[in-house]
Amino acid sequence: MTTASPAVSARRGATLGWLRRLLTPKIAIIVVVAGLIGYLALVPLYYLIWGTFFDANGFTLGGFARAYGDPRVGDMIGNSLWFAVGAAVLSLCVGTALAYLNVRTDVPFKGLFFAASIIPLIIPGILYTIAWIFLASPDIGLLNKLIEPIFGPAFFDIFTVWGMVWVEGLHLSPIVFLLMVAAFRSMDPSLEESALMSGASRWQVFRRVTVPLTRPAIVAAVLVMVVRSLESFEVPALLGLQNGIYVFTSRIYFVLRSYPPDLAAAGALAVGLLVFALIGVAISNLVGRSGKTYQTVTGKGFRPRPMELGKWRPVMGAVIVLYFFFTVVGPLLVLLYTSLLKFYQAPSGEAFASMTFDNYRQLFDMSDAMTALKNSLVLGLGSATLVMILMAVGAWIVVRSRIPGRQLVDHLSFVPLVIPGLVLGLALSFVYLRSPIPIYGTIFILLIAYCTRYMPYGMRYAVTSMHQISAELEESAQVSGASWWQTFRRVLLPLLSPGLLAGWIYILVVSFRELSSSILLYSPGNEVLSILIFEQYENGQFTVLAALGVVMVLTLAVLVVIAYKLGAKVGLRQD
Amino acid sequence: MQHQKFLGSVAVAAAVLLLGACGASPTAAGPMPADGAGRSSVKAREVYDRINGLTGDERTRTLLDLARQEGTLSIYTSNTDLDKVIEKFEQTYPIEVKVYRGNSESVLQRVLQEQQANYDGNDLVETNAGELNVMADQKMLYPYKSALRDAVRKEGRADGWTATRFNVFVVGWNTTKVKPGEEPKSFEELADPKWKGRISLEVGDVDWFAAMYTYYLSQGKTDAEVRDLFSRVVANAKIAKGHTAQGELLSAGQFAVTASSYSHTIDKAAAQGAPVSWHPASGTPVQPIVIRPNGVALMKTAPHPAAAMLFVDYELSEGQKILHESSRVGSIPTANDPLAGLTTISVPEKEMLDNPKKWDALYEEFVQSGREVT
Repeated sequence: MTTASPAVSARRGATLGWLRRLLTPKIAIIVVVAGLIGYLALVPLYYLIWGTFFDANGFTLGGFARAYGDPRVGDMIGNSLWFAVGAAVLSLCVGTALAYLNVRTDVPFKGLFFAASIIPLIIPGILYTIAWIFLASPDIGLLNKLIEPIFGPAFFDIFTVWGMVWVEGLHLSPIVFLLMVAAFRSMDPSLEESALMSGASRWQVFRRVTVPLTRPAIVAAVLVMVVRSLESFEVPALLGLQNGIYVFTSRIYFVLRSYPPDLAAAGALAVGLLVFALIGVAISNLVGRSGKTYQTVTGKGFRPRPMELGKWRPVMGAVIVLYFFFTVVGPLLVLLYTSLLKFYQAPSGEAFASMTFDNYRQLFDMSDAMTALKNSLVLGLGSATLVMILMAVGAWIVVRSRIPGRQLVDHLSFVPLVIPGLVLGLALSFVYLRSPIPIYGTIFILLIAYCTRYMPYGMRYAVTSMHQISAELEESAQVSGASWWQTFRRVLLPLLSPGLLAGWIYILVVSFRELSSSILLYSPGNEVLSILIFEQYENGQFTVLAALGVVMVLTLAVLVVIAYKLGAKVGLRQD
Repeated sequence: MQHQKFLGSVAVAAAVLLLGACGASPTAAGPMPADGAGRSSVKAREVYDRINGLTGDERTRTLLDLARQEGTLSIYTSNTDLDKVIEKFEQTYPIEVKVYRGNSESVLQRVLQEQQANYDGNDLVETNAGELNVMADQKMLYPYKSALRDAVRKEGRADGWTATRFNVFVVGWNTTKVKPGEEPKSFEELADPKWKGRISLEVGDVDWFAAMYTYYLSQGKTDAEVRDLFSRVVANAKIAKGHTAQGELLSAGQFAVTASSYSHTIDKAAAQGAPVSWHPASGTPVQPIVIRPNGVALMKTAPHPAAAMLFVDYELSEGQKILHESSRVGSIPTANDPLAGLTTISVPEKEMLDNPKKWDALYEEFVQSGREVT
């Protein structure tokens, strides 16, 4: 609009007026948030799609032929689905049960219980998996040795699909736990109470009232879990390969391994996952869409009150202790034990006599350790906060607004879940090496990468919570004269806070482990903890790595407990 | 509604931003001439040429003088033992070193991405042979000459880069699982059914595989015989991912034998007291031993060329001792050379560079065929 003919200036006046009417804070915020989500998702998606369908000679489907052309691909997809569905079901059961007990009952040791439920997520995958090998390998497993007198040798075999399901399912269960904690916290117990009063049994209430009310959260959990397990490589690589169990991601590993990495084939595999994931998002929205069905946070006041377990309380306490012994304490003890040794050996008098703190000393002598810890904290806190703020607005657009194309925001936010870390790293370095704003080589490129990677999780957490909140609360705020922004800030955000906090904790924790894109994008001085882990691993210092794992668990467990205590003070109050 | 078109326009805006940032197609770049004329390369070339022609004290003096003016040095490396060399280097010279460490694939990808965008991120690259060969192939490196280079094992004097250490692939075992006298004498022996379920291969050792495969062909075996040998070894094997995990599981007794461990993985573990070795109680280790150089190269576009050369000189002199302390096999043979008297073979670099997919696919096929037999 540089020419100034009268017709144009008239049109400009009209446009300006139109703009002025639209430039309310509400519109501005929506546009900015939707734009950011679109931008974050489209950069790697564009790179992925371009790399998949185009080569030097133009359009091609060669990547698909190479990715799916393997005669064993059927087996691989079969194994993958078995593994992914199994892990998803296990994590769903475990995570839901733990969340229910933690939020809705008066089970003992709640704070500790909460932190312990998150720990499998904090332990880096490679350490968690190797700890399980030390526990349940048929050859050297400590648990097998322990129960040998009763069940005979090699009772547990971790190198099977079931072993993979077990390790992956437990490792991922905190994602479900956090989602379900948020869902249960926003649930009005009077619904369950009335069912009880009408003569339903506890189990009937759980099955017919509790579960249906949390269906959006369950669907979101299943969706995220299945996609995550389909993508997971650490567990299948360490446990599956030994007995020749190959999964979908083995292909991604093989096609990306050599130079030049076969981005087309990797992209073709990712596109397959993407189609699958988007169908899942659509289903999840259909389920959530049934309007008021799941809105348990309404204008009617309620105080979520924990259910008294009565005589079951000690029993439940014992079950939980047992569970934690197997899934949390066991692997953690193995790590702690390994971190004090010079090399891993089965426990013996000799082994205990050789214990030292050398590995910890070596860790704290590392020049980068403190910088890395600081950077990881900054990035973790920064990306968790940014993502959850953006996704709170994003979830409003998707669930509450009537803007056409709002579903697109949801789909876009889910895209990064299927993009391999290496592709994301390449896409971001490609764009920001050419950007006039100096972002490449600074910590901001990592922040952008983390926000992109964790956007899908943030959106799932936020959308799930939004489904539970009745629109009538916003409507009454607006009727009382509050602006959109005031309503959002003073009414919606506090009500969403259980879900936002759960997502925030999740992102904080997993961001400490992000390696595949960080390794390409960090610069000297911007080291993060996962780079250190990788280095110790490459260097063969497994015992130092175990020490690092222990330090990470302690650091993050403290942060999570603080966040949990603070979180309990805002939003819905409990008795 | 008024804001009906908003998400549409937002999407358009995002796309515009994106295209603006991209400009060209991101992945169709492929091999491109990185002559870098008009950039820092002219200055770098002058320095390189000048120093390459110098020797002795004069070289050290000039180099130090120029390097001091530059003040800093940026290194991209996948060598995790380089830290100690860098630490000593910084203590010796008044030069601040910035290090990027990653796996060899990310070092390569990073250099390629930056060079294609005319971004001079590093002065020096220190990584594996395969990746260095790709960079040399793309004309991103500048030759380094010195008396030190002439002392490097001949396998390590490559075009465009110079070896600093060797990865040595050995057959290792757990000494409690494999009794003295029972140790494997040759790789062929691992095809014997008595090793069923007791040996381990690593899923990414394509370079080792290509070296062994071509070695057996050169020994007069037919292609069918070599394939048969590998499929029988694989039939006995459990596949591991990563040399570190594999080494740790060997120490713990999960495997009795590893067919392609790094010597330093085993030596380090043994030094800590783990029951592992690649030297039998009597006799010589399993041979041939595959060795593959890791090396250092000067970037053609280095902003700090003198500091880079000073570092290479340092790594090939003092640095060799430091690497040796980390159980690494240096590129310049010393009096107590761990490879002395042993038959070593090299990875067919040219072949790997020309046909990488062929070897990847072949090794993948073998590794995956293992399961049908188990």
